[in-house]
Amino acid sequence: MKKALLTALALSLISGLAMADRLDDIKKNGVLRAAVFDSNPPFGFLDGKTQKINGLDVEYAEAIAKKIGVKLELVPTNPANRIPLLASGKADLVAANFTITDERAKQVDFSQPYFATGARFIAKKGALKTAEQLSGLRVGVDKGTTQEILLRDKYPKTTVVAYDDTPLAFAALRNGNVQAISQDDAKLIALLAQAPDKTKYEVSPFALSREYEGVGLPKGETRLVALVNETLVQLEKSGEARKIYDRWFGPKTKAPLARDFKIGDKTE
Amino acid sequence: MNPELITDNLSYFLFGAWPNGGAMGGLLLTLWMSFVACILASILGLAGGIALTMGSPGLRAALESAIAVLRGIPVIMLIFWCYFLLPVLFGLNVPGVATVIAALALINAAYLSQAVRAGLAAIGPGQWHAGLALGLTRWKTLRLVILPQGLRIMLPSFINQWVTLIKDTSLAFIVGVPELTMVSGQVNNREQVYPLQIYLFTAILYFLLCAGLSTFARQSERWWNPRHKGARHA
Repeated sequence: MKKALLTALALSLISGLAMADRLDDIKKNGVLRAAVFDSNPPFGFLDGKTQKINGLDVEYAEAIAKKIGVKLELVPTNPANRIPLLASGKADLVAANFTITDERAKQVDFSQPYFATGARFIAKKGALKTAEQLSGLRVGVDKGTTQEILLRDKYPKTTVVAYDDTPLAFAALRNGNVQAISQDDAKLIALLAQAPDKTKYEVSPFALSREYEGVGLPKGETRLVALVNETLVQLEKSGEARKIYDRWFGPKTKAPLARDFKIGDKTE
Repeated sequence: MNPELITDNLSYFLFGAWPNGGAMGGLLLTLWMSFVACILASILGLAGGIALTMGSPGLRAALESAIAVLRGIPVIMLIFWCYFLLPVLFGLNVPGVATVIAALALINAAYLSQAVRAGLAAIGPGQWHAGLALGLTRWKTLRLVILPQGLRIMLPSFINQWVTLIKDTSLAFIVGVPELTMVSGQVNNREQVYPLQIYLFTAILYFLLCAGLSTFARQSERWWNPRHKGARHA
């Protein structure tokens, strides 16, 4: 199994070298295929009014498509499919709450970060005050996320239960299958703000990490990475990045959250 | 129960983003994938079953192993592998909907081949001998004598397989194909606290689809079967 996967990877590298530059392909096809979440408000979700996928990540994908001058095609993804979609060439980029990690950087390239978060928890009010309390708890996470890896590595006494998506994990919390769920704080705050039963729960006061999210790109596409980085810098300079942020996390939204990271800021 | 939950999202459940200029989705995509995959699976299954009956020993052995492999893999794995690994291994980029249709057609064809072979075997050697004695070739005997009787025997197996196939289209969510189960998940994840209502509605749609097909098929079986006809007229 492992051998087959390695062979597959080796083959993909060879075929990757033989192929034309991805940016040229995108321009030739006139379409940028961006993998985005379809179930994670406010990053990528099905908008109830327009019945289309929309969100903060989607707006970044739109800006990149506009910069290249092509149409945008959204490929819905869950957290676990993000790397396979890039590796198999089914998507040209991933804009889906994608935390930059060394482990992932072995398989995909990242743009510079455009969003910063930390791993926090949602639990019943008052149930989770410190990280020490995590021992012995059952904690729900999304399959293939940094929180899953972090908890399994650093908190061996915590039982980690992996779900397909955050809303599903939240449903498990409601039903009592788990005692807490873990995700990026921005996502948890937005999720809780929209929950009809939000008064019963709270986001943990402590964070386990500081994480940075970037656009995921196929390995070795230097021109595409450069273009995405350039787009991000321009969005910050023109003030568009702040506008995008405010549309989803600004003071008038359901989940107000102060913006503590600008594109180009130093990462810890 | 909160009826707006269903009525507000009804068009999305039934057609996906199609009415809003997107790709076809929802129940319509489930129907479309089921329809195409059922036809492909039936043709392939019939061909496979006939080959298992009439083919040379070499061909039969090859087919038997292919069927064993297909029957031994979970459908969800086959879909996942075709979608993500065919491009990596062979540079073949098959779109999601086509991948799902192909995977469902192949696996169900494997099951149907065995049903077809069993159906043909059930006719018995006497009918074959009779056909050959009349001077028909083996193929003509098959077409004129064996198949018309065999197909009636196989029909219930075909209906079983079709119903299974319709339900298995729900596995397409794994590769992001927006069929009924996936769009229900999207609506559910936005609304958050109404999984019971949303998935109950989805389950009813599946049930109506499968029950409708079964009823229709049972009805056609009746018209087709001369014994039933005789019974009705008697």
